[in-house]
Amino acid sequence: MNLEFIRDGPALVIEGEQRLLVVADLHFGIEADLAAHGLHFKSRSTERLERLMKTIDHADPDALILLGDIKHSIPSLTRQEYYEMPGILETLRSRVPLIVFPGNHDIGIERFVRDDELKPRDGALIDGVGYLHGHMYPAPHLYGNLIVIGHHHPLISLKDEVGCALQAPAYIRAGLDTETREAQDPGSPVGSTRVLFMPAFNELAGYDIFQMVKHPFSPLSRGMNVNAAEIILTDGTYIGPLNSLEPDEDD
Amino acid sequence: MKTIERLDPQVRTCIRKRGFTALSDAQKQAIPLILDGNNIVLIAPTGTGKTESAMFPVFNGLLPLPAGGGFKAIYITPLRSLNRDILSRMQWWCAELGLTVGVRHGDTPMGERRKQALSPPDLLITTPETFQALFMGKRLRQHLAHVKYVIIDEIHELAGSKRGAQFAVGLERLHVYAGDFQRIGLSATVGNPEDIAGYLCGSRPYTIVQVPVAKQLELAVQYVGDDFRHQTAVLSKLLKREGSTLVFVNTRVTAEALGHALFAHGDVEVHHGSLSREVRIDAEERFKKGEIRTLICTSSMELGIDIGRVDHVIQFGSPREVARLVQRVGRAGHQLNTISRGTVLATGFDDLLESLVIAKKARANEIERVVPHRHAADVLANQVAAIAVEYGEIERSRIREICERTSLFPDCGTLLEDVCRQMEDHRLIRIDGSRIVTTARARRYLAGNLSMIHDERKVPIFDIVSRRTVGTLDESFVVGWVHTGVVFITKGQLWRVLEIADGRLTVEPANKAIGELPSWEGEQIPVPFSVAREAGAIRRTRDVAAYRPEQDGLAFAEAFLREMDKNRSLVPTDELITLENTEDGVVCNVCAGHKANEALGRVLSILISARYGTTVGLELDAYRMLLRLPSSVRAADVRDFLLSLDPAHMPGVLRLALKRTALFKWKLVQIAKKFGAIDPDADYEKISIQRLLEYFDGTVVQQEAYRELLSEYMDIDTAAAIVSLIREGKIRVELGPHSLIGAGGLLSSRDQIPPPTADGAVLATLKRRLNQDDVLLGCMNCRDWKSRTVVSRVDEHPQCPKCGARLIAALKPYEEEQYALMKKQRKNAEERVIEQRLMRNANIVLSSGKKAVIALSARGVGPENASRILATLTEGDAFYREILRAERTFVQTHRYWA
Repeated sequence: MNLEFIRDGPALVIEGEQRLLVVADLHFGIEADLAAHGLHFKSRSTERLERLMKTIDHADPDALILLGDIKHSIPSLTRQEYYEMPGILETLRSRVPLIVFPGNHDIGIERFVRDDELKPRDGALIDGVGYLHGHMYPAPHLYGNLIVIGHHHPLISLKDEVGCALQAPAYIRAGLDTETREAQDPGSPVGSTRVLFMPAFNELAGYDIFQMVKHPFSPLSRGMNVNAAEIILTDGTYIGPLNSLEPDEDD
Repeated sequence: MKTIERLDPQVRTCIRKRGFTALSDAQKQAIPLILDGNNIVLIAPTGTGKTESAMFPVFNGLLPLPAGGGFKAIYITPLRSLNRDILSRMQWWCAELGLTVGVRHGDTPMGERRKQALSPPDLLITTPETFQALFMGKRLRQHLAHVKYVIIDEIHELAGSKRGAQFAVGLERLHVYAGDFQRIGLSATVGNPEDIAGYLCGSRPYTIVQVPVAKQLELAVQYVGDDFRHQTAVLSKLLKREGSTLVFVNTRVTAEALGHALFAHGDVEVHHGSLSREVRIDAEERFKKGEIRTLICTSSMELGIDIGRVDHVIQFGSPREVARLVQRVGRAGHQLNTISRGTVLATGFDDLLESLVIAKKARANEIERVVPHRHAADVLANQVAAIAVEYGEIERSRIREICERTSLFPDCGTLLEDVCRQMEDHRLIRIDGSRIVTTARARRYLAGNLSMIHDERKVPIFDIVSRRTVGTLDESFVVGWVHTGVVFITKGQLWRVLEIADGRLTVEPANKAIGELPSWEGEQIPVPFSVAREAGAIRRTRDVAAYRPEQDGLAFAEAFLREMDKNRSLVPTDELITLENTEDGVVCNVCAGHKANEALGRVLSILISARYGTTVGLELDAYRMLLRLPSSVRAADVRDFLLSLDPAHMPGVLRLALKRTALFKWKLVQIAKKFGAIDPDADYEKISIQRLLEYFDGTVVQQEAYRELLSEYMDIDTAAAIVSLIREGKIRVELGPHSLIGAGGLLSSRDQIPPPTADGAVLATLKRRLNQDDVLLGCMNCRDWKSRTVVSRVDEHPQCPKCGARLIAALKPYEEEQYALMKKQRKNAEERVIEQRLMRNANIVLSSGKKAVIALSARGVGPENASRILATLTEGDAFYREILRAERTFVQTHRYWA
C-alpha cells in the first residue's frame, strides 16, 4: 500500500489493489449556515466542485471515496442543497465511481446516492484499510487496520525561531488508547490500529488540533493516544510528534 | 455699514442682552459673508466665538421664514457631548427669537424623536451618524426638504476620517431634497484650508476666513526627566502655582497613573474616554464651577466643550503633532483676545527634541495637513446600502451623481460597479440591470452600521491563574490573529492564549515572548515625518539652544549628546541612518516618523524574511525600528538590503508584506463588516478565519484594506523618498555599536512579518524536533559502550570513551536490542545483516560526524537514506530540506502506515 498526498485538495490517494482518491468534509451548502451565524458569503459550490474535479483529473483514481459531510445542513435539507446535490453528485459520478461514507451532516443523503455507492455509517474495509466519517465508533472489524476518517477538520499551528505561528490544514496519525480499543473489541491485536484524521476539503472549515486534543468531540478523538500522535502537512511533509509542538514555555 | 447693523434688530437685541459688547475678529469677518449667502470655512482658535459667528447670521436668515414645516438649519458636531453643550447655548437664543430647537443623537429618547417627526424644530443639533438616520424615515425626509443651512462644527475632526467621507455623501443626499443650502464649516487651524473647503462644498464656490492662532500662544518646553516620581513632583509644584489647569496626556494609562499620584491634592480629577459618561460630565461640571482646579485628560477634552475658565494648559510628554499642541493649548484663556499659555513637560531625549520642534512649528503656524479619504470603498458600500434603503430601488447612475458631487469620490464609476457587485455577493443589495434594489438585509445592516466608526466588540481577556479579567482586545484583532498557544503583550505583561470560547480569551501569564501581539487601540498618535526629521536635524547641528529650551533641558540635551560622543557612538540624524547589532536583532535608527518607519520597516522585514525563510519581528517608533531577527542575520546584512532597495518596487513589496500580517487581517475584517459580509455579532467560531481571508483575495474589500493601511497607517511615499535620498548619497548608512539612542524609545507598534511560505516554520519545527530526539550511541569498535542522549548534546565527532574509536553508530532508542546482539560471537544470518547495517551507520558517523547523527535521527532514515542526504553536501537549511524530502517519501510508503 502506498499513499500520495495531494496538497491542493487536500486529498489522499491510497493505492493497493485499486487506486482510491479520498476526500473528506466537502460541506456543500456551508454558506447558508454561516449566514445564519452572521457571515454572509456567496455560495462557492461551483468553485469547490471544480477544485474537486481537478483533483480527480490529477489523481486519476479507480474510485472516489467521499468520507462524509458531503452536504452541510442539519437536521434537514435546505432548498439550496435539494437543488444542488443531485447535480454535484452526478458530475462526480460521470467521471469516477463513488463510494460514500455518510457523516453526521449527511442526513437525507440517501435520496441522492445510489444504494451500491452507500457504505455503512460505522465504516467498512476496502483493500485492508478502514474508512468511516469519524463521528461514531468504527465497526469492530475495522480495528487492527489503518482507519481513515474525516469529521475533525484538523489545523496545525507552527512556529519558527522568531516565533510567528502559521496555521495550515494537516493530517494526524495516531494510535488508540488500549482502553478504547479493548472496550470496543476485546482481543484485537495490540497496538496495530492506527487512525488517520484527514483535513477538510472544504476551504472554510478548520479546527485547531490543540483545541481538539483538549476538548475531544468524538469517540476516536477521545480515544486517540495523544502522546504518540504525529502530524503530517497536506503535501506529505512529516512534522513530527504532536507533543513536540505543544506550546512550551522554555523553547 | 458696520457688521452688527446688518443683523435683524431682534438678533441685535439678543446680542446686547447676552452681554456681548464687541464682536470678535472671527465674527466681524464671517458674519457679512454668511449674510451674503456664501459657503464658508471659518478657521479660528477655540474661544473666538466661532459658534456665534455662524449662528448670528443663520438666526437672521431663519427669522423671516414661516414657522414649522421642517428642519431649516442643521448643526452637526462630531460628539454627543458637544451636542449637549451647543444645545444648552442655543436654547436661550432660540427662546428669545421665537425659534424652536431640538437635539437628536443616539441617546435621544423615542418620545422626543417621535415629537421631532411630527413637529420638526427649526434648528436641529445632531451628530453625523444620526444625520444618516434621518434619511431612513419617510416623514423625516420630507422635513429635510426645508433645510437652508448646515453648520459643521469641528469640521477638521471629520474631514480626515471615514466618518467624514460618509458625511460628505450624506450632504449630497440632502442636496437631492433641499437643493442648494448654505454650508458653514467651523474649523481649528489646519495646514490645508482649501482641502477642508473642498470637502465641505465639493465643486461649489466657497470663501475661507482665517483667524491666526499663533500670535495668541505662549509656549514653553520644560524638561522633567524620565523618573515618574520626579515628573509628578514637578507637575505637582506647577499645579500649586497656577490657577485652573488642564493637564493633557497621550494615553489613558498615563492619565490614570497621574490621577493616582496627584490624588492627595484633593482638587484633581481624571477625564478620558474609558470613563463612564456620568463620571466625565460630573468632572466637567465641577471644573466649570471651580470645585476642582485640575483636570487630567486625554484627547477627550480637545474639542470645544465649554468648561469655563482655563488659566494654563500642561501637556505631559510630547504632543507628537503640532495641530494637537495648538488645539490643546487653545483651551487656555477661554475668553476673547486673551493669550493662551501652555507648557510641555518633556520626559526624555527624543521627547525633548520633539517637543522643542513642535513648539517652534506651532509659533510659526506650521500645522499639519488634514488628508481626507478619497475613494474609500467601504464608505461607498455603506452609502449604497443607505441609498438603496432610502429609495427602495434606484439607478446606479443616480448614486454615482450623488457621490461625484463630493470632492472625495471623483470619477467613481468603476469603483461603484465593483462595490455593488461585492455587496450583491453578500446579499446586501440586488442588481437589476442598471438599477440596484434594496433587500431585507440592507435595512438590518444599516441599523447596525449607521456609523463608520468601527464599533468593536471588546473581547475580555481572562487570566486563569488570578481568575480575573485583565483587559480587553478588539474583536477584529482577536479574529484575525489570536489562536491557541499564541503569546501576546497587553498591560505591559505577556500572556499565552489557552482558549478562545464563549466570547472571551482565556490566558495564562507567559515568561517569554514568542511573538508579540500588537494592540492597535488607536491611542498612539503618530509623530509626523516633518517633526521627526527636524528633531534629527537638531541632533546633527547640535544647536539645541536655537529652539529656546529652558536651562535644564538644554543642559540635558547637550550632556546626552556628549555621552554619545564619549562612547564613540554614531549619532543618527536626518542625514545619517545608523544600524546597530543587539541581542534581539538589529536596531535601525531612522528619523522619519512613525508612518514612514512603519512602511520602511515592513519592506525590510519582508525582504529579509523571504531571503532567510524566517519570521521577522518588527517594533518601531518615530526614530528607530528594531528588527527581531535570527542571530545569523546582522546589521551588515540589513545594510545590504537597505542599500539595494529600489524605491519603485517598494509599494509592491509592501503590499506583499502586509498580506499575512495581523494588522492586515484586522483591517480586512473591519472592512468586510462594512460591506455587510460579516454581521456585528457574527460567530467566528464557525469558521477558520485564515481561510475566510482568502475569500477576499483580489476583491474590492481587499483593495480597500490596502488603500487604508497604505495611506492611514503607513507612508510608503515618504519611505520611498528616504530610500531615494540614500541612493543619491544625501542620507548615509553606517554601522555602529549599540548606542544610547538606539536603546532608547518606547517601542510601540509590534507586528510579525511571516515568510511568504511555510518553509521557515516547517524547518524550525524540524530542527527543534531532531535536536530533541533521543539517540543511542554505540561503539562499533569495542562494542562495549553505549550511551543514550539527545541529538543536541552529541559532540561534533562522537568518540568511544572506552576504546577511543570514532566508529560510533547513531541508533534509535528502540534499536537497543540490535546493539546488544553485536557482542555475540556467533551470529546467525539475520544478525549478520543487522551488523552490516550498524557498521554502515557507524561509518557514516565516522566520516560526517554530528551531521550524520542528525540525518539518522530523522523519521524513516536509515544508513542508505542518510548517505544519500549527506552526499548532497548541502549545509544549513538546504541540508534540512533534504531531510524533509526523505521523510516525505517515507510517509508515503507502506512501512509507515502498516
